[in-house]
Amino acid sequence: MEEQLKIDFEKKLKDFSYSDQEKKFKETNFKEFLKQGFPNRKLENWKFSDLNQIIKSNIGELTFYNDYKKENQIDKIELISELEHNKIIIVDGKIEKIDFKFEDKDKIEVLVEQGEETIKENINSLINLNNAFSNKFCKIIIKKNYSLKKPLVIYHSTNKNTQSKNTNSRIDFKLEENACLRLIDIFKENSEKNFLNIYYNFQLDKSSILKNYKIDKSINNNVKYSYNNVKQETNSISETFILSSGSKFFKNEINCDLLGQHSSAFVNGIFDLDEENHHEIKSNINHLVENTKSYQLVKSVLEKKSKAVYQGKIFVNSEAQKTDGYQLSNAILLSENSEFNAKPELEIYADDVKCSHGSSSGSLDENSIFYLMSRGLNYQEAKKLLINGFLLDVIEKITDEEIKNLIKNLLGVKE
Amino acid sequence: MLKINNLCAKIDSKSILQDFKLEINPGEVHAIMGPNGSGKSTLSNILSGKKGYDVTGEVLFENNDLFSLETEERAHKGIFLAFQYPLEIPGVNTNVFLKTSLNAIKKARGEKELDAIQFLKLVKEKAKELKFDKEKLGRQLNVGFSGGEKKKNEILQMSILNPKLSILDETDSGLDIDALKTVADGVNALRKKNNSFLIITHYQRLLEYIKPDFVHVLMNGKIIKSGGPELALELEKKGYENIN
Repeated sequence: MEEQLKIDFEKKLKDFSYSDQEKKFKETNFKEFLKQGFPNRKLENWKFSDLNQIIKSNIGELTFYNDYKKENQIDKIELISELEHNKIIIVDGKIEKIDFKFEDKDKIEVLVEQGEETIKENINSLINLNNAFSNKFCKIIIKKNYSLKKPLVIYHSTNKNTQSKNTNSRIDFKLEENACLRLIDIFKENSEKNFLNIYYNFQLDKSSILKNYKIDKSINNNVKYSYNNVKQETNSISETFILSSGSKFFKNEINCDLLGQHSSAFVNGIFDLDEENHHEIKSNINHLVENTKSYQLVKSVLEKKSKAVYQGKIFVNSEAQKTDGYQLSNAILLSENSEFNAKPELEIYADDVKCSHGSSSGSLDENSIFYLMSRGLNYQEAKKLLINGFLLDVIEKITDEEIKNLIKNLLGVKE
Repeated sequence: MLKINNLCAKIDSKSILQDFKLEINPGEVHAIMGPNGSGKSTLSNILSGKKGYDVTGEVLFENNDLFSLETEERAHKGIFLAFQYPLEIPGVNTNVFLKTSLNAIKKARGEKELDAIQFLKLVKEKAKELKFDKEKLGRQLNVGFSGGEKKKNEILQMSILNPKLSILDETDSGLDIDALKTVADGVNALRKKNNSFLIITHYQRLLEYIKPDFVHVLMNGKIIKSGGPELALELEKKGYENIN
């Protein structure tokens, strides 16, 4: 792999004329990735999902070079028709289209830059990989007091003949004071056996609201990693909802730094897995000042040999008194071979806090099935009704009605 | 309508019903009384198709072999069990459940399914008759309902599904006197010449409001005595131990 990485990186550097600073940034990140490689189970964060092994067994050898000068076809990508939306289309890691047609033009600023590093901290080797190989950084600024009229949908896709390839994309968002963004990520790949690596930074200024819905429903054999890095100022709210279902492997990592008082973070998710799919949600909610709140609810429905992992961490530093942190996960295992791993972590250094966690897993309740069947429903209908009921309270956490209905339709949940 | 012959039932090789016999004709109301552990609930579970019992013998429902039918097929044919302990089903709206259930049965019978408006009209009417709080129909099925409300909900389901054979498994337990009357009124409203009932109870109290045609005493998995409504009164006086 090292050989291939070096060849592809050389090729990439030749594609554009990078400034010395940009070049240095990319090289530093590249070296760091070379040193660390893909994360494996020796790392605590990756102990339930050995990405190195997962890539080896599902993809084999990867290539890393993408020709960003090439125009990708975007007309083959199926757009969602249920709701009007602004859109960004990403194909093989390259942003092909940015369209804010429903919005006031002077309220949204889109900057496209060649690798200005905004985040200095070293997060993990996949972020290094992303920084080394991603194309231009795109930074989207939502101006003060502006709420987008329609949601922004980001389509993540791949070309038909893209295979065994790693694609990297990165977008930075800044929501100025009192701004509001509804962001939906939809995954619609046109090819298999790729590794998609997605990295978002969010700066939420005072009283801004971010709602991010990640919908992975189309069945595919790709391996994906998504990292949301959210910095929250006073009174800001972030709401993340993850519907994790279609991909072979998907790890969603959410990092929220609650930096301003009365800021709050919500991370809710559904694992709806079949076959041998293996998905993970890893959250780090960092309560860093007084009076902040976080809430996490993750529900899993696991068929066949599927496996779900939820590692939820609540960190409360010594200054963060009056923190309110909550997390809960419930799983229904529909087969003897399915697996649910929960690792709640609470690290608390303040003494006046309210934090709790809980996790349960089990099979469908046979008595409830019998009750429903005795009323004329067959086994499949009874099972479906119970599962929908089980998932309903997490769906109800979605605060946007339009998007809630979209997700209900995707899951076939009726009311 | 229902013919039970030589029914034996076991759980984990423990015998619960032995050589059980019963025949119910259309329009009849039968009461089965017996002490705890006599096999009453096992009987109702077996008739509605609960898994986990080893059974032998024969049960015919309108000449269909009941054991060859799945639980839901029995419901389609017109068997209804009012549960002793109705289950709470989180996340499932009571109205949605009732409509799904009614239409599943109608569909299986080749009848036209009800649309939302027709259904709501029906359910409103039935709820009113049973003094069932309409607001509860919009809530999750049995979640947060009191014991009495759960039992009333069973009777509401029964009156909406309009079954041929209704089995009431200790529907009277946990009901106060007013709720008991309402439940009895609901049952009596369904008494027609083709609808039959099998009422399972500990006490004779319910039978003051729903007059049975026959009363059977179940002890240790066997019917030890059968008679008319007067047998229930005799039981109340003498107790199960001294009935023979």
